Amino acid sequence: MKKSYIEKQKRTNPMVHIFLILITAFQIFPLIMLFINSLRTDKEIKNFPIGIPTSLDFSNYIETWQKGGYTSAFISSFSIGFTCVLVILVFGGLASYALAKLYVPFKSFFLGYFTLGMSIPGFLFITPNYTVFTKLGIVNTRLSMIIIYSAIFLSFNLLLLRTYLIGIPKELEEAGKIDGCSEVSVVWYVTMPIARPIFSTVALLVFVQCWNEFLWANTYLSTDDVRTVSTRFYKFVSQYSMDLASVFTAGAIAIGPIIILYIALQKKFIEGMTSGAVKG
Amino acid sequence: MRNRSSGYKKPIPFLRKYIGLIFILPALLLHLCVVMIPSASTFVMSFYDWNGLKSPTFIGLNNFIEIFTEDKVVWVAFKNNLIWMLIFLIVPLIVGLFVATLVVRLKHGQMFYRTAIFMPYVLSAVIAAKLWESIVNPYYGIPIIFKSLGFDSLSQILWLGDPNIALFTVAFVDNWHWWGFVMVLFVAALHQVDEDLYEAVRIEGATKIQEFWYVTLPGIKPTFVFIISMSIMWSFTTFDYIWAMTQGGPGQATEILSSWIYKNSFTMFRSGYASALCVIQSALVLIAFIVMRILGKGAEE
Repeated sequence: MKKSYIEKQKRTNPMVHIFLILITAFQIFPLIMLFINSLRTDKEIKNFPIGIPTSLDFSNYIETWQKGGYTSAFISSFSIGFTCVLVILVFGGLASYALAKLYVPFKSFFLGYFTLGMSIPGFLFITPNYTVFTKLGIVNTRLSMIIIYSAIFLSFNLLLLRTYLIGIPKELEEAGKIDGCSEVSVVWYVTMPIARPIFSTVALLVFVQCWNEFLWANTYLSTDDVRTVSTRFYKFVSQYSMDLASVFTAGAIAIGPIIILYIALQKKFIEGMTSGAVKG
Repeated sequence: MRNRSSGYKKPIPFLRKYIGLIFILPALLLHLCVVMIPSASTFVMSFYDWNGLKSPTFIGLNNFIEIFTEDKVVWVAFKNNLIWMLIFLIVPLIVGLFVATLVVRLKHGQMFYRTAIFMPYVLSAVIAAKLWESIVNPYYGIPIIFKSLGFDSLSQILWLGDPNIALFTVAFVDNWHWWGFVMVLFVAALHQVDEDLYEAVRIEGATKIQEFWYVTLPGIKPTFVFIISMSIMWSFTTFDYIWAMTQGGPGQATEILSSWIYKNSFTMFRSGYASALCVIQSALVLIAFIVMRILGKGAEE
């Protein structure tokens, strides 16, 4: 194996590490501040924005959780997220399989359609959908968000699935066929196991996209029982802006699940989020 | 396979011919109904006067005429979008590429730096925006720290309250969230530059700068083009950070096309007019999209 250019650089200047650590600190200090301040009291924070918490008191969290109505917000975000993951895996899985492996008339047209579909600004269709949803009586429901998110996150994830499926060599599938598998069982026993990592990446990405989305949720959801976590947080901040300890705690609660997921699965996150760029 | 080798061509059976289309159908229908058809209706509505409730009246090009002749805010917004675009074409690219070239040479800790620097990108924009809002708050944020350190003039800056600074503050925060993504893309691209090329120019006695200019830059050109076109497209649709931090204020200092559309559509109930603004915004994005495709093809060759 040829050594890459990068591996040949043996010594690293300690200055480089110091510089990079400073950069890293800048990137994560707001988060550290968020978590530390969530443990401090309102008075302490107003006195000085940074500092060490005097006691490890998590009662803030319970109080804020109740005040912010986070139970219903978490139910909202989780149910919307999981349903969208399911819809996109099924719809996107089928379509990407067809676009990668099957005969489809006007294939390049459909590919172009979904590529363009990825770049359409949300404002272009937010109002008409609002009108239609109002007529259907589903505005301000979780269902409305499921429909919207499934549609707007579909194109990107569908194309992501397709690039991966195309990379699976035909020979493997042919081999399965020669061994006497039916076409369906080839998909099930050969293609799917190989493609499993990309499906889990897409599941993760869709869930995070749903969790973080703000514009649509803030526009369509107007009552607390259906609000998602990020919009519930937005409202919480405007309601309790004077109580800094709760604001930071509310932020920590809202951001926590994504941080934990990210730290556990950072490789998947980074690969998934950047792979759209590699293939263009 | 056996059939093909004997030269016998089996006609494609009905199911084989259409199963692909059937597989695409659910995704296509969902996307058509939620994205494409409503988008097309926005184009139609841009020729109407409509408050979102009553029946719309056709007014021809009047909305567009108003945008170009009467609406002063839209020009402020457009100018702010352009400033935004310039910032995002310069800062993340330079910082991202510079840090990427440092990270990519490390023997240890590449993953650590990549993970930590990328982290803001996965966070919800509203939460990050609100967090930064409290960091720059004049009563309990960074200004207090500046004051205690004796930097009195620094501590008096209203990061979000001063119309001359607010846009840059929000852009700064959005950059904080964005540039890690750019850096990771560059790291991936740098890993793929062919080592033989470096060897070749080194034998020729090239300096580090020449090496960078003649080997590294051409090697990462596709990534470069991608990031530039993405930055241009997203600069015209950016919304979350501005809306969460300033809602276009103070005054109209951080107004952008998206926030102006939002206000027209959902607080002033001028849906027809907002539609016309959307059409213009989409046209800008579409132009960027087409340029990206053309340039992207050029970069691949």
